[in-house]
Amino acid sequence: MKFSVFQVSRRGGRSKNEDRMGYCYTRESGLFVLADGMGGHPDGEVAAQLALQTVSAYFQKAARPTVDAVPEFLASALMAAHHQILRYAAEKGMLDSPRTTLVAAVVERGVIHWVHCGDSRLYLVRDGELVTRTRDHSFSEQSHLQTRPEFFNRNILFTCLGSPQRPIYDLSGSVSLQQGDKILLCSDGLWSPLGDQEIVNHLAAFPVAQAVPELAERALRKSGSGSDNVTVLAMEWETPDVFESTRGISTDSLGEGVFQSTIQGGGGMEAADTVPSESDDELDDAAIERSIAEINEAIRRTAARRV
Amino acid sequence: MSKVKPASLPPETVIGGYRIVRKLAAGGFGVVYLALDPQGQQVAVKEYLPASLATRGPGELLPQVQPDKLSLYRLGLKSFFEEGRALAQISHASVVSVLNFFRENDTVYMVMNYLEGASLQDFIITARELKKQKVFRESTIRSLFDEVLRGLRIVHQHKMLHLDIKPANIFVTDDNKAVLIDFGAAREVLSKEGSFIRPMYTPGFAAPEMYRRDSAMGPWTDIYAIGACMYACMQGYPPNDAPQRQEKDRLSLALSRLRGVYSDNLIEVVEWCMALDPLARPQSVFALQKELSRETERSYTKLTMAEKMRLQLDNLLGTDGKAVKTKPATGKAK
Repeated sequence: MKFSVFQVSRRGGRSKNEDRMGYCYTRESGLFVLADGMGGHPDGEVAAQLALQTVSAYFQKAARPTVDAVPEFLASALMAAHHQILRYAAEKGMLDSPRTTLVAAVVERGVIHWVHCGDSRLYLVRDGELVTRTRDHSFSEQSHLQTRPEFFNRNILFTCLGSPQRPIYDLSGSVSLQQGDKILLCSDGLWSPLGDQEIVNHLAAFPVAQAVPELAERALRKSGSGSDNVTVLAMEWETPDVFESTRGISTDSLGEGVFQSTIQGGGGMEAADTVPSESDDELDDAAIERSIAEINEAIRRTAARRV
Repeated sequence: MSKVKPASLPPETVIGGYRIVRKLAAGGFGVVYLALDPQGQQVAVKEYLPASLATRGPGELLPQVQPDKLSLYRLGLKSFFEEGRALAQISHASVVSVLNFFRENDTVYMVMNYLEGASLQDFIITARELKKQKVFRESTIRSLFDEVLRGLRIVHQHKMLHLDIKPANIFVTDDNKAVLIDFGAAREVLSKEGSFIRPMYTPGFAAPEMYRRDSAMGPWTDIYAIGACMYACMQGYPPNDAPQRQEKDRLSLALSRLRGVYSDNLIEVVEWCMALDPLARPQSVFALQKELSRETERSYTKLTMAEKMRLQLDNLLGTDGKAVKTKPATGKAK
């Protein structure tokens, strides 16, 4: 498999970034996932993080090197993430559980499947046109549902992961990818200020490494100082070539892919405003130097002990 | 994707003050060279150069990494650092030691002490070709693993697991010391809780919990691999891999063939280490060392006639349920 991928998460005007994103892959299967921890409930960023970790752990377990039963996998991974969040809430004795949206896609053998719950979206763009996108689980997007708008904020979500109610989710059918197809996953911080057309136009016009940061920047500018977290992950499908991974790549690192720690080996939940992209070489160089210095320091300490 | 392997550095190249003598080995992760340090001491220098991500023309110093592979290349580097970090903290005769770590030629190098000898895997292959009843003598196995376990105990004390113990990663030096090598898989996991995931394992030596990534790994995970290595030293071949064993466990049967050849105690130790249930194994290296060193008089239990027959039948029937075809007494032939 061959694809290019680029991801960015920006905190915007909020005090913390409760969005999480990441991707991982084996030689023949790739997982792309994004979660938006919900405000109004505690620990939104934990819910999003747990969702990401659980789904990627599931993927790691199932993809050997392909997942095969992808729709079943996506559904069970989503439910596992939901249960993981509930378990976390129970262990902490929380009165209210943390909640998150989730959108996840698996690509293998040139075919994509996705699942989503909530209002984080997936867009599929081909030849400059929107082929399809997910429909949010909000009353405004699911107009076939019987609602009484006077009682409802139409943008409110009626389902998510982590709520005491069993999540409602939608599974896509299988879609065969063509060379140059672009898949974009984003939180509402992106689509809400920009709208479909702007997202599609931009995604179609530029390589993902350019389109993704630019779209995030536009959303932030448009929303101004009160901007929500903006998180975008986009992938361009290239040729059905073999994509070799190294042994160092695991969901372990990629599940935490949301953080600057992806590449630097550190870890933890420190909130990163902008996630380093593939082009942030300066940062990596500093981290490499730091790692080497640390190792040599450890060697000296150990040698000193030996004497 | 078939690709040309990146060229290794030619002899006499000087990197970070070390002069390359020759290439010792090349793996997916890089190249290991024999080199001389400024004082003329022999060292092993491991160069990070993942064959799938980097290219290097013959005679060139700098590896080329395609821009689209750069992030993977950097991620692989993280593993390389983890190995360095793990080894840097440990100073023990049974664990390969790292002497220096430096950056040059757009990549990184790890300098380790140079070991002369061969891997346990080489020894096993040589020994089994002699087609003797015993692959190794029991006393050899006991003293070998005594040393390995001393090293492993230190590793575990540093809150690390090796996670890829196998005969290829146990080095036997020419002066008869066993040394654990290749800590590329070692991670500091004992201190962390929760979902730690690893993509790499070696079938036959990997404990069942390495396949089910959701369950907890611990010293018992390395201990399973130790048991499997001992098994390989006795049988000459690695044991069945964990998923196969979970389907149909033939370990006891295979070990019973060794009765009378190796002591009951040694056979029991292997079976204990290789219990499918992590809780049924020795929970620490110390517990295993205690049992292994408890060398009272060795007792050997010979096979009974019935057991011998069962074994023979088993040999005849192969490993799975293709029994029907060879059963002569039942019914007519088609």
